[in-house]
Amino acid sequence: MTLRLVVAALVAFMTLPTVVVIAVSFNPTAILSFPPAGFSLRWYANVLGYPQFQRAALNSLVVTAAAVAVALPIGTLAALALERGRLRGRNLWAALLLSPLVVPGVAAGLGFLILAAALGLLRSRSVLIAAHVALVLPFVVRSVWVSVRNLDPALERAAASLGATPWRVFRRVTLPLLRPGLFAGLLFAIVVSVNEFVVSLFISNRVTEILPVAMFTYVVNYTDPSIAALSTLFIGATFLVVWLADRYLGLGRVFLQH
Amino acid sequence: MAKAVVELRGCTRDYGGVRAVDALDLGVHEGEFLSLLGPSGCGKTTTLNLIAGFVEPTAGCILVDGEDVTGRPAHLRGLGVVFQSYALFPHLSVFENVAFGLRERRVPGGEVARRVGDALELVRLDRRGGQRPSELSGGMQQRVALARALVYRPRVVLLDEPLAALDKKLREEMRSELREIQRSVGITTVFVTHDQTEALGLSDRIAVMSRGRIEQLGAPREIYDHPATRFVADFIGASTVLRGRAVAVDQLAVAGDASLRVASCRALRVGEEVELAIRPERVRLAPGPGDNVLDARIEGLVYQGAQTEVTARLGDGQRVLVFVTEPAPVPLAPGQTVHLHFPAAAFMLLA
Amino acid sequence: MKLLLAPAVVVLAVFAAALTALFRWSLLEFIPGSLQTGGLTLANFRGVLAPQYLDAIRDTVVLSALTTGLTLVLSYPVAYALASTPSRRVRSVLLVLTLAPFFTGAIVRTYAWVLVLGNTVVTWPLPMLFTERGVLVGLVHFSMPTMILILAAALSHIDPVYARAATSLGARPSRVFWRVTLPLSMPGIVSGCLIVFAWTLSAFPTPELLGGGKVKMIANVVKDLGLDSFNWPGAAAFAMLALVLTLTLLVGLGRLTGGRAA
Repeated sequence: MTLRLVVAALVAFMTLPTVVVIAVSFNPTAILSFPPAGFSLRWYANVLGYPQFQRAALNSLVVTAAAVAVALPIGTLAALALERGRLRGRNLWAALLLSPLVVPGVAAGLGFLILAAALGLLRSRSVLIAAHVALVLPFVVRSVWVSVRNLDPALERAAASLGATPWRVFRRVTLPLLRPGLFAGLLFAIVVSVNEFVVSLFISNRVTEILPVAMFTYVVNYTDPSIAALSTLFIGATFLVVWLADRYLGLGRVFLQH
Repeated sequence: MAKAVVELRGCTRDYGGVRAVDALDLGVHEGEFLSLLGPSGCGKTTTLNLIAGFVEPTAGCILVDGEDVTGRPAHLRGLGVVFQSYALFPHLSVFENVAFGLRERRVPGGEVARRVGDALELVRLDRRGGQRPSELSGGMQQRVALARALVYRPRVVLLDEPLAALDKKLREEMRSELREIQRSVGITTVFVTHDQTEALGLSDRIAVMSRGRIEQLGAPREIYDHPATRFVADFIGASTVLRGRAVAVDQLAVAGDASLRVASCRALRVGEEVELAIRPERVRLAPGPGDNVLDARIEGLVYQGAQTEVTARLGDGQRVLVFVTEPAPVPLAPGQTVHLHFPAAAFMLLA
Repeated sequence: MKLLLAPAVVVLAVFAAALTALFRWSLLEFIPGSLQTGGLTLANFRGVLAPQYLDAIRDTVVLSALTTGLTLVLSYPVAYALASTPSRRVRSVLLVLTLAPFFTGAIVRTYAWVLVLGNTVVTWPLPMLFTERGVLVGLVHFSMPTMILILAAALSHIDPVYARAATSLGARPSRVFWRVTLPLSMPGIVSGCLIVFAWTLSAFPTPELLGGGKVKMIANVVKDLGLDSFNWPGAAAFAMLALVLTLTLLVGLGRLTGGRAA
């Protein structure tokens, strides 16, 4: 069927760059070529031993962990409020909570930079973390909200009628049932934060920069396949995560309807 | 012999390990209203889908006007289908919905307008052409769906439980309207339903189906008065089934030493174990013992206004269902013994 | 209950503070050579309309429009396959391949195109890297996953009975697509196009790396002014422009789709 051929070609187009990057990462020489002239792991060694990448990776870890740790509870509470809170102007609140998604990265980035300068926080990580929290929050809210919407309030009422205090109900009934949404939110939050580039470019410096920013700086200045190696590591980790998520969460269910 | 417009020969359809339709043979006559009647899962919708071409048979063939269409795709079969959910295109007006089939057949614009107008008039919606389906009530949508399926004069029109989504009163109204339209147009119709009242009231013939097979095919009266199998006797109307042993060509020993004369069936073979069904409205309360009268103990009473449904047990434990027209000739109470008269001519021999 | 929203409100307030700072600085006078500013002025916005910047704006709009159109055409078949395939396996594969780019990050994806367009795989008949062509390819590739998901969601919400009805009325499969499926997927198409267009207007890494300084979109100008020239007021004016354009488009989309959360 022609549709199958067309789709196969398009999928090939979509995956071609990935294939090239992976192949090039094993290239023995600094001159980029495809197919690679041989097989070598030197770029992986280079990347893993490069001090700036090491520092950036550590920064990424700290910033993402902090941002996610803050955003997850805040987002969960917000999702609960949206669904159960009987708020007037609920749609407006939803739009506001999702609004960071809509703002161009350069606008947010520059704004945070100006804000940081005004507060004298240019050298600290706190603005970076705050920005990440703001950027990650919409994803958490959205994911958890879906779970909250599917949570039958009758279950919580049943637990209460059986003698559970509100806190116990939350801990033993609500939270466990929200697990898929929480897990999805966690996943999205981590991925968005780890890959966040534009805003972070504006508000970080050499000391605080996270991994994507460090990679960008490297690409602009050097042309060897080190970034290909780092990218391949990224891709590998990502595929693993996405595959696992589809297997255990059924990503199809999140996006499609059958 | 009436001409068969649609014929299924030995059609089987499997879904994985499940056999939805089992070696089905069916012929639909010109101009008739044929119902496929049965409980859910009996294969009636699958049979419809086979005729329509939405599904291919695992074995067997399908003919339309004597031509083998088994391999022919659905859009080339020239049939009309009315779906249970009507499936009116939400993005098109009523007019465009009805015109759809004509446009696919490249009918010129002026003629389209004329024929759509006629079709909408037929279903009494001639002033709704400009509206969207979402603006119409359920009953109106159903009529548009009918008009859409009929406008290009298909060979056969297939209706998949079209009245199921309507409330009771509307359903009854639409039933008679449907029959009228079908008669006036004279189109061969296959109608799928699980509602026996509907089937009995609308059809020229009924195919009672169960587990992928046709249990009985015949006119409504014949199916009701002479059910061929236990399933048909149970599914159509209510019935009591009595088991006994034949002691003469027309006599059955039942409930120990009691015997019943049976007049409406073939000659029985002595010693044969038979099953006989009888409609609850034919069993009467008798004043005392007599011919074809058995004693029974009342177990349950369900008052229904025009009648009371009495469940009683014979001496040998067999259950009998009796409809007693109110007001009852004698007062009835659970535990009471009554005399039940079984008219010899009312028995139906089951296969 | 409102209390549950309080922490989120704090976060939003911080975000709003950043945008307020941006807005305020877009109205302050730029003093070259320092980060100090003068008084209120509209000079920055007038500067936006200077010829070299006008080119950037025009290029951005044109490039975004082309990207949107191309992305739509290329994404539709994949979305259709994703929504209509009966095989769970094929759907899984397509979904993973479509979603994975989301998770690999902008730098990785853009760098991959630097390699491909830079004659490492194939020697292109025309120069691709550091041209508008190359940026277009990168942008389309970047937008396809989003468009595919939006279209696939819209297509999967179409009740299959409509296709059946059209078939029973005599329409062959291609006609069913043009007369029924495509029109019914229109909300998804509009959604997808507006979202891709809005996002592409503010695209940064793709034109930055693939454009090599020769292709400037609005976001690149903001970075040049802000991080290279330290003209924060000027950069802020441009950023405000991007912000207003994006918001207008997406609010418009919200109106069209009746306010359903995308």
